[in-house]
Amino acid sequence: MIEFINLKKSFSGREVLRGISFKIEKGEIVFILGTSGTGKSVLLKNLVGLLQPDSGEIYIDGDRVDQKTEEEYLPVRKKCGMVFQHPALFDSLTIFENIAFGLRKHFDLEEAEITRRVEKALHLVHLKDVDKKMPQDISYGMQKRVSLARTLAIQPEVLLFDEPTTGLDPVTTNAINKLIFDLSRELKVTSVVVSHDMHCAMDIADRIIVLDKGQVVAEGTAEQMMQSEHPLVKDFLEEVERGH
Amino acid sequence: MGVSVFEITGRWLIRSLNQLGEFFYLFFQTVKQLFRFPYRWKDTLKQLNFVMIESAPIVVFCVCAAAAVTIVESSFHMKIVIKNDELVPGFAALLILRELGVVISALLITSRVGAGLAAEVGTMKITEQIDALKMLSMNPVRFIVLPRFIACVIGGVILSFVANLICLYVAMLISEYKLGYSTGSFIVAMRSFVEIKDLWFAAIKGGVFGSVIPIVSCYYGFKCKSGAEGVGLATTNAVVTSSVMIIGLDFMMSWLFSYYY
Repeated sequence: MIEFINLKKSFSGREVLRGISFKIEKGEIVFILGTSGTGKSVLLKNLVGLLQPDSGEIYIDGDRVDQKTEEEYLPVRKKCGMVFQHPALFDSLTIFENIAFGLRKHFDLEEAEITRRVEKALHLVHLKDVDKKMPQDISYGMQKRVSLARTLAIQPEVLLFDEPTTGLDPVTTNAINKLIFDLSRELKVTSVVVSHDMHCAMDIADRIIVLDKGQVVAEGTAEQMMQSEHPLVKDFLEEVERGH
Repeated sequence: MGVSVFEITGRWLIRSLNQLGEFFYLFFQTVKQLFRFPYRWKDTLKQLNFVMIESAPIVVFCVCAAAAVTIVESSFHMKIVIKNDELVPGFAALLILRELGVVISALLITSRVGAGLAAEVGTMKITEQIDALKMLSMNPVRFIVLPRFIACVIGGVILSFVANLICLYVAMLISEYKLGYSTGSFIVAMRSFVEIKDLWFAAIKGGVFGSVIPIVSCYYGFKCKSGAEGVGLATTNAVVTSSVMIIGLDFMMSWLFSYYY
């Protein structure tokens, strides 16, 4: 279980997170929605120690993580795999090496086992014959999938997605969203997805949390969101209707 | 009420000292990684090729041109002032070995390699590759800075050494064809001015300047703000700061080495 308690974070005097509190249960698919600049990505980065909160508490399975040192974050980062907004693949390494990178760092595995896990991860994201290529030799959509494969390879218990479909065409967007849903169910992991895509959230999320100006303004299932009177939620729902 | 000059100066001083502290912190973090094996040899060799082999032609060309100008100009002025230019070969060799060869090499490596490093690391920062490294339990200093640091230090030493030797040879040719001094008389004049330790001091300077370039460039890359403007600013700051630090360190080392001559 993940829990945020009264989390606050500012940048140069500008408050981005203004007392965020909510829980995510094990195995849930939770979408965090909000307009740009409301602190969605900042929230995820605080969870894994890429940013430090100004105040508040963060717990993962009862373990307080917000006060850990860089060294102490290592097990947290092994438990929580993160797929970034950009593919964030390392240009100097092949696709195989990119995916094997985390395996080599996090585990002490035989080369044969590393190869097996890389192949399995590529299979999970429906990619083949790309392992010897360099990141710049494949399309942006494929890079996003490789990024997901790199995260899956370390078999995290929590998958964090930071706007996974940004910059993708509608077909690839749907494919990635389906992949998130299938993988979360198949691998029985907790998934936290930061997104603008209400349509996708309504389709696959167990629960939706809406942020506005650094605060949680609505929270609930897709059905509960339909009943929400909050103007931002209504705006998002109107977008969904327009999309249909 | 306006802000006083003292306040502006004070703020600038505090910011500069703070930044200098951060450079030293990154430098010590990098040196700490030097004692941990294995190195990323493939990437280190790639960087060494970029720093040393690919920079060599432009460095040698510029250093030789500077040497030629030094000889021609000093001969011209010495003839006017003391009606004699027989000190020119020795004086030029001294200037080349102690200053020209190594400082011009370092400034050229800064503009070529330092700018590239800052842009590369800055782009890695804004495309979240550095966050991805941390998520995969890899220290970004070890993955990014260390190979570039090793390459720049080795490249700095070797390039300054090679540039000095080629530069001296060119100075000898110019002295022969323009001033009429034979190879033998150039060497005799040179030996009365320079010693073998000048070559070693030049190599030390090359290594120190080589270590400044990746530290400053990677520092600005790590601090890069998003967008093309952010990358541009990181690149500019890296080149300007590295150049100023090289000139400052050159002064300090020349002063220090003067006690050993």
